[in-house]
Amino acid sequence: MRLTSVLSVPFAMVGRRTLDIATEMGGMTLMAGAILRRLFPPRVDGAELMRNLYNVGVKSFPIILVTGVFVGAIMVIQAGLYVEKYEATGFIGWGAGFATLREVSPIMIALMFNGRVGAKNTAEIGTMKVTEQVDALRTLAIDPVSYLIMPRFIAMVVMMTLLVVVGDATALIGGAFTSQFLLGVDVQLFFRSFVDLIHLEDFLLGVYKAITFGIAVGVVSCHFGITVTGGAVGVGRAVNDSVVASAIWIFVLNYVVTTLII
Amino acid sequence: MSAHPPHKPNVLELFLAALGSPFVIVGEQFREIFKVFGLTVQYAQHGRRRWKEVWLQAYRIGNESLVFIVCVAGSLGVTLVYQAGLQAERIIGDLTPLGGLYLQILLREFGPTITALMISTRVGTGIAAEIGSMVVTEQVDALQMSGAHPVEYLVVPRFWASVVMVFCLTCVSVLVSWLAGLLTALLAFGVSPYTFATLSFVIPGDVILLLMKTTAYGIAIPIVAGASGLSAHGGSEGVGWATTQSVVNCSLAVLFLDVLLSGFGYLVLLR
Repeated sequence: MRLTSVLSVPFAMVGRRTLDIATEMGGMTLMAGAILRRLFPPRVDGAELMRNLYNVGVKSFPIILVTGVFVGAIMVIQAGLYVEKYEATGFIGWGAGFATLREVSPIMIALMFNGRVGAKNTAEIGTMKVTEQVDALRTLAIDPVSYLIMPRFIAMVVMMTLLVVVGDATALIGGAFTSQFLLGVDVQLFFRSFVDLIHLEDFLLGVYKAITFGIAVGVVSCHFGITVTGGAVGVGRAVNDSVVASAIWIFVLNYVVTTLII
Repeated sequence: MSAHPPHKPNVLELFLAALGSPFVIVGEQFREIFKVFGLTVQYAQHGRRRWKEVWLQAYRIGNESLVFIVCVAGSLGVTLVYQAGLQAERIIGDLTPLGGLYLQILLREFGPTITALMISTRVGTGIAAEIGSMVVTEQVDALQMSGAHPVEYLVVPRFWASVVMVFCLTCVSVLVSWLAGLLTALLAFGVSPYTFATLSFVIPGDVILLLMKTTAYGIAIPIVAGASGLSAHGGSEGVGWATTQSVVNCSLAVLFLDVLLSGFGYLVLLR
């Protein structure tokens, strides 16, 4: 009897986790479906959309700028080691720019966006849920998805795309300054190799990634926000789950988009 | 006492206030973080050792993040090798150095930093949510009433656990990314595992830099997250604010330390 109960522990654990994951995946799918149904024709509250565009985009601007500069500096330092080893200073703009535009900048900006906007979104919707404001909306015959979720979702997709473009630009400027002051490679040389060797596709790949990341963060954070239960503790736990799920989606989608587009 | 007419700020004052307020906010957060840092160092040296709590926190920081880290490291490894392989095929046409260079850049940069960002996301929010909930439900006040300092009781065990576990998770993450890269190189480009698995590019400086980075991130994450959690106020809104603050500050701290340590590595270690 004892042996069987010990043996059943791992199975119970695997089963419980599978059920948990299935529940969340189903919830996210339903959320994506609800959003999709209200996109054609678009049913969005205009004033709420403008306010969310401001909150999501403009207020994240400083953090994205700082992240961009850091990313550019890191990539140039890393590329600099190889450039000096093989004495190919002419290629630093290409080396750092290629990795930044295609891979590092979209991921880093998306992770910061996930932390800044996704977490805040889950916390806000979750707070409204536990203080019964969402129920109040329903009582007033206002569809919570059209009023609360659609503006946030659209704002996130639009602003994520734009913020990656901003992040790319700041990363390149930060990288150029780092290469000037730390490596002693002239800014002109940096940008010449960048312009010569980087194609539009490299930039566009980052933008496509940004669109998918924006959709993922939007769906995941709204889903975890609207399903919160259990007061302040529940809100904290939901934010935690939301950022973790979004981060996994970001990396999985990064892989999917990379393999699909190339 | 005669009532003064309310002072109406003019445009210049409004402009200066808008310019200065971000600095004030950032400065306050820095002060908060360094206060918690100082207290943590002090209590970590002189306070009571509560190994059972450290053990529990190590389980929650390390073991419970394992699946998450493996997922992320695996997909990152596949993507990086795929991109690098395509470029190397197009421009150099020789894929033999791929494995060695990949391992090197993994040790120097992507292994520790991406893992630390993931831990900031998962553990940073977790710590802030937990401590923040305790603050808003007045459990922290109760702690202080019974003579335990919240930093000693809540942050120090997480600090020890995190310093150890960030290192362990980084090792796991590097290993998983490397294996994922090896498989990708084999299946997508036909690079033999014997060619891929080489340590010839790795120098001692790479390993020292990895150790420095993991230690710095392991110290920074619980302290920044703890500071955010302890500064929570209000109800569930305050907890949400604290968790958001925590993940942003932790990630920025990781990136900042990465710039500093990579710069140090470039100038001193990796010559």
